[in-house]
This record gives sequence, C-alpha cells and structure tokens, in this order.
Amino acid sequence: MNIVACVKQVPDTEAQIRVKADGSGIEEGGIKWVMNPYDEYGVEEALRLKEKNGGEVTVISVGPARVMETIRTALAMGADKGIHVQDAAFDGADAYTTAAALAAALKDLNPDIIFCGQRAIDDDQGQVGAVLADLLDIPHVSLITKLEFADGAIKVIRPIEGAQLLIEAKLPCLVTAQKGLNEPRYASLPGIMKAKKKPVDVKDAAALGVTPAVNMKVVKFVPPPARAAGKIVCGDDPAAKAKELARLLREEAKVI
Amino acid sequence: MSNLLVNDRDQRFILFEQLGMEKLFTTETFNDFSKDDALMILSEAEKMALNVILPTFTDGDREGCTFKDGNVYVPKSYHEAYKKYIEGGWMIANESPEVGGQGIPLVLYEACMETMSAANVSFQMLPGLTHGAGKLIEEYGSEEQKKKYMEKMYDGTWGGTMCLTEPGAGSDVGALKATAKRLPDGTFSITGTKIFISFGDQDVTGNIIHPVLARIEGDPPGTGGISIFIVPKYKINDDGTLGELNDVHTGNIEHKMGIHGASTCTLNFGDDNKCIGELLGNERDGMKIMFLMMNEARLSVGLQGLSLSSTAFEHAVSYAKDRIQSALVWEKKGPDAKPVSIIQHPDVRRDLLWMKSHLEGIRAMNYFTAYAMDMAKANPGEREKWQGFVELLTPVCKAYSSDKGMDICSKAIDVYGGYGYCQEYPVEQYLRDCKIATVYEGTNGIQSLDLVGRKLAMNKGMNIMNMFGEIGATIARAKNIEELKIDAGRLEEAYNALVDLTMALAQFGKSSSFIIPILNASSYLDIFGDVLVGHFLLQAAVIASEKLKAIYQENGAEESKAKKRALVRSNEDVAFYSGKIASSRFFAVEVLCTVKPRCEAIKSEEMVAFEMADESFTC
Repeated sequence: MNIVACVKQVPDTEAQIRVKADGSGIEEGGIKWVMNPYDEYGVEEALRLKEKNGGEVTVISVGPARVMETIRTALAMGADKGIHVQDAAFDGADAYTTAAALAAALKDLNPDIIFCGQRAIDDDQGQVGAVLADLLDIPHVSLITKLEFADGAIKVIRPIEGAQLLIEAKLPCLVTAQKGLNEPRYASLPGIMKAKKKPVDVKDAAALGVTPAVNMKVVKFVPPPARAAGKIVCGDDPAAKAKELARLLREEAKVI
Repeated sequence: MSNLLVNDRDQRFILFEQLGMEKLFTTETFNDFSKDDALMILSEAEKMALNVILPTFTDGDREGCTFKDGNVYVPKSYHEAYKKYIEGGWMIANESPEVGGQGIPLVLYEACMETMSAANVSFQMLPGLTHGAGKLIEEYGSEEQKKKYMEKMYDGTWGGTMCLTEPGAGSDVGALKATAKRLPDGTFSITGTKIFISFGDQDVTGNIIHPVLARIEGDPPGTGGISIFIVPKYKINDDGTLGELNDVHTGNIEHKMGIHGASTCTLNFGDDNKCIGELLGNERDGMKIMFLMMNEARLSVGLQGLSLSSTAFEHAVSYAKDRIQSALVWEKKGPDAKPVSIIQHPDVRRDLLWMKSHLEGIRAMNYFTAYAMDMAKANPGEREKWQGFVELLTPVCKAYSSDKGMDICSKAIDVYGGYGYCQEYPVEQYLRDCKIATVYEGTNGIQSLDLVGRKLAMNKGMNIMNMFGEIGATIARAKNIEELKIDAGRLEEAYNALVDLTMALAQFGKSSSFIIPILNASSYLDIFGDVLVGHFLLQAAVIASEKLKAIYQENGAEESKAKKRALVRSNEDVAFYSGKIASSRFFAVEVLCTVKPRCEAIKSEEMVAFEMADESFTC
C-alpha cells in the first residue's frame, strides 16, 4: 500500500509569537518549530496502517530549509521516505498553491491513501487537505477520529454535533485527522539514527512544473489589541455594588 | 519559553558555544552525528521528559513504594512510563550499537538525562541503575555472561542494582561480611545482608540482576579481598527462561525523606543457603570492578543535584514573575504605590541570581566532565589529559552539585514563601528528593577525602595542573575584554589563593600537620568547586561578550545604552547573553571574593575541631 502523510512545520504551541515591526510576518528568531499536532495524528495513523497491512509511508512537506527537521521527525517515527518541496516561491503560499505543489509532487506516486491534519495550528485555515483531494480527483473525508481498512476500502468515523458518522470510502482517498484518532508515538533514538539514512527527495517549483499563483495575499499581520485593564467595582454596600455592576454591563460592556 | 524543567537555551549554549561539542563529530568515534542530530535528540528527550516522565512526579512521591508479602511495588505510573522510556531507546543511548545502543556522545546524553531527571529523579534511577549494572557485565563479564544477563538488562526486560552497603559496612566497604563459598561447579553460594539497595526489588521488570560485593571464604580482609558476583533474583534456565527464586529475599523497605518512588531495600542473600552467584571478572577484583559503576554513579548523582537545581530554579523564576506582593520599597510611601511582582524586589532578585549563577556553573562543570569522557574516548593521543579531568572532577561534580543543589532547592522554597513549604507546589519535593544526593554514592565527606587524599596527587599532580592551566587561560582571555576585566581580576585572586592552598595542603600532607588537609577536605572541595564554577562562568561570559558585540554592531547599538536596553527586551539572544555576563559578574563578587580569606583560614592551621574533647560536644 502506498501511504502518504502530509506534514506542516508550525511554531510550537507554547512559542511566544511576535509580529514583525513592519507587519510583514512574524519574528522567526527564537521560535521553536514543531510538526503540526494534527499532522502528527496523520503520521501515526499512516504508520499503523503500514504496520498492519504492509506498504510504504512517504512523508511530504512544503516549506523552507528548516522544514527538513519536521520531515526527519516523521522519518524517525517510522516513515520510509520523504519529499521536501522547497522553493522560495512557495514561502507564504496560500492553501491552493500549497495543495497544487503537493499534488504535483504526489502525482507520480499514485498514493492509495493520503493523511493530512484537519488544519494547521498556525493559520487555522483547514483547506489544504480538501483542495489536494480535489486536485488529485480523489474523494476525501475530513476530521476523522477512527479508521479501519479492509478489502480496498476504509471505514472511518467522523464526529458531528451530537452524533457521529460512519463513512466508507474506496481507495484511493484522502482523510484529514482530528484529535482522538490515536496517540502519536515518540521518535525513538534508534528511529532517529535510522532516519538519517532514509531518502528525502528535495524538489523545487521548476522540477514540479508548478507556477506558484497568488490567489490570496496576506496584507498585514497585526497583533491582537492588548487587553485593557479590568475594572473593580468598589464600595461597602453590596446592593449598590450590584447595581453599579449591572449598569456597567449594560452601558459600557453592552452585554445585557 | 521555558518548560520549567531546564533552560534548553543554556543547554545548547554550553554544548555548542562553550564546549564546542561539534569537534566530536569530526572524530572517527562520533562522525555518525551532526549538530542537527544532536538538536533532534535533545528535543525528543524533552518530549519524553515532559509527556512521559513528568506525569509520574507527584503521584510517584505521594503513592510511594509499598512492601507486601515480601514483594515491593513501585508507583503504578512507573510501569507504563518505563515501557515508553525503554522503547524510546534512552536507557543505553550512549552505549555502542554493537550492544544495542546508539553510541551518542556522553555529553549529549548528559544533557538529555538532565532534562529527564528534572522531570522525576527517582523514576530515572531505575533505568540508570540497570544501565550501570549492565555496563559492569559488558566490561568485565564473559561472553556467556553478557549473553545470559547483559542483553536482557540492556533491552529493558530485566532490572539491575548495585549491592555494596551492609549494616556494618557503609563508608568502610572493606568491613563487609557477605560471604561467597565455592561450589564444585565453579559457581558460588552467597550469604549476607545488603541494605539501602535502590530498586533492590520492584515489580516493573521480570527479573533483577544484582552485582554483589562479597568475600570468598579464606580471602584476606579489607577491600583487597573483595570479589564481585552476579546474583539474579530468579535463577535463569539454560534456555534463558526464568527458573525458581534464587534465595534472595527483601527484608523491608526504608521510609525516607524523599525519592519515595525509588524503593530502598534490605536484601537478604542465602537465608536458606541456596543463593547462587557467578563470579564477575577475577577473584578479589571486586572493588576495582565496582568502581566502574561507582564512578559513573557519582557523576549521575552530581547530575541529580544539577537536575533538581534546574527545575527548582525554573519554577522559582516563573513564580516570582507571577506573584504580586508589596510595592517597591522606594515607592512605598507614594500615594500611587502598587504591589509588584516579587521578581522586582531586590532581595528576591538576588536570590534568583544566586541560584542562576550557581546552576549555570554546575551545569557547565557536569557537562565538561562528560565531554572530557568523550574526548578521552575519541582522541587516544590526548586520552591521559582528558581522563585526568574526569578523575579529578568526579568527586567535585558529585559533592558540589549536590551541596549547591540543596541550597538552590532551599532558596526556591524561600522565593515561594509559605506556599513553597506546602505540597501544593513542587519545590518542597525537590528539596526532599535532592537531599539523598549529598549522602549516597559516598557521602560528600567521602568525596572530599577522595579529592584531597587521592585525586590531587594523581598522575603526579598533572591532572590538577592541567585544570589550573584551563582556568589560567580563561582569566587571560577575559582580561583582554574591557567589560570583563574586573570579573577576571576576581577570579584571578581566588585562583591564586586556591593554587597557594593546594600547594600548602601538599606540604601539610608530608609534615606533622598531616591532619590539616583531612580536617579541611570538605572546605577545600567547596573552594575548589567555587573556583571551577567561577572559571566556567567567566569562560561563558567571554563568549557572550563577543556575541553581544556582534549583535550590537548589527543593530547599530554599540554606543547607545538606550538601544542596548531596547534590544534586551526585544531580542532573546541579547537577553540570554547579557544574563550570562550577569551570572559571571554576580558569582565573582558574591562568591569568588570570599575565596581568599577562606583559603587563609585553612592555612592558619586552626585545629579546634580536631582537638576539642568529645565531652565538650555533649556536656
């Protein structure tokens, strides 16, 4: 089985994000980069599928040189080979362009199943998986929390409000992983050492035959406004204080 | 962002900027590694520490170990964590791939272990002891013994211990009573009682392999007559499966101040004369062989002091930033004075910088010692010099790191105030877990006697001379940097006083005042540790000063104090490097300035502690 896991490198959830003074992006110095947590579920599920049914897991990522670290992490977890789409033209690419690059890189691989995270925790768009499936003309199921494979088809669970859907899909198809799908393994030390010898194919836009199109452009990054100081209602008379609180909620905060 | 276990920026600074460990990657021994690999390994160690080990910290302490019907049960959470730790390949990561390890440099392993131990020091002892006991068999065992015992210890199936101490033989190992009686098939019947055996029994691994010191019947008394035996808890059948109990029984477990998650056992060997042991190595080589494990264990104990200092400090800083209490003393009378975070109060800041500087110094010292082991291994031509550092610094790493570790954990409680004394916060446990480090693996008193009595004179004094050479070089470098001149002068004064004292001790040792070095051994070790820390901190400050200069130039801030101040707030590197210089400066004025008078005091040959009558202690 030909299994693919798409991964994105994102700032650590604990990282303190600082917007550049000119608003063109975020300050990358001092940021710790990690694999997008939802993509980790995808990698783990890809590895489990391979361990049960055989096959090969290819991990793919689009991004600058530092992204290699995340690909190596997936290889250390147990993926077999990597593809790194690296081209300055893809820096800051929108979801469509990223998906187009992935599609071009994966086309010849003929994947049976592709795993993506349901969204990346940095820009929170959640589009790449769906667009990629569309470009490859394969079905996709989003936000899965369980996956079973038998007889050339998958059965997955997708939670919806108050219920869950059981969806069957024939391969090839693409799924996006949601929290709860599994508990991702840690890269073991032997895994890290083995990963050094696993092949990673580095491709640029020209090699893929993709012309990055700018469909969406980020105009400016702006930090959220600093939270204003809270107001404490003082006084000795609880009734008067309650009255004042109600007035403030109504007239200033305008919530009642 | 700190993970509250270790400052990974400082770890990387020491590894790559201060020690320059990339040099190792050019040697044949370590050319499989690159800096990227090292960073990835550090990052995985952090994940393991935070997600797998840290969850065992509190319940390991509260639940503790239990003893029931002759069996010991460790905290329940340890089982799953141990499994994941072993699967991750951490236990023997620094050992050669031929025995299942990954051959990572020891200094890198040290950094990983610092983070792991900071998450829960008592959990970390289980793989640590198994690793150490397995290493004895790897080094001194026959091929058959390696196959029979070591393989299953190294793959985590079985545990390991070290059995030295007896009720009448603690610091004086030579007084042990455990006996080995020759049996016709070449094995030995072992009888005796060992106490204070960490993880002597536990319910995590299916079997436990005990390296046991005992005297073969008829062998001479003292340490020279001691042999070492491999004694499994369960006998092992020829096909490798487990057989019957090997007449090793747990008498009880201790109820201790700290490390509650590590069982401390009394083990009775051969109550029914059915305990069988195999000789490890040659007869009467027991102490020499066990010293391999003891030296490594001493460095591990130093690391425990470091790890606990590290997490105690990270917690204290984080708390001090959050805790709002009292207005600034110079604003207190103003009508608008508002309470501020306690990190702004001078006394708290001072405590925090005291902790920071000592912590960074002992981190550098422990890493340097591990790095010296790597250099000795990777550069056969320089082996003597680097191994000399290891010999010299082992007792200092053990004793100084654990002594200062206690001080740092104690100060962390001070920063928290009353809350720090309560179990709601982790710092009281750090202090309790830390205390054992000054005691076991040879008390710190024993370590200082080892330093003064053996290590200073070892290799005809070359080891200490080489270390003095390193310190002298640091002083010379720092003197060339304008902003470090005063700090360098303070280290120089302390260093000269230490050199003087060292020479004086050597003279005392040869004269009728031979008791002076013994009486003052622990003071000497403390002074020696202070000067070493001063050296490592100043060495770091030199690097930090150069890096800062470059950043200021890049940002056009060389001449502007205001620009520099702005950079400290916006640029993490500037904040970090400025902090390194501050550590060195604070330590110089706070500690190094006291070294000379302390040396003078020892040289005054005051003998009152030796001469006062016992009766005067008690009446």
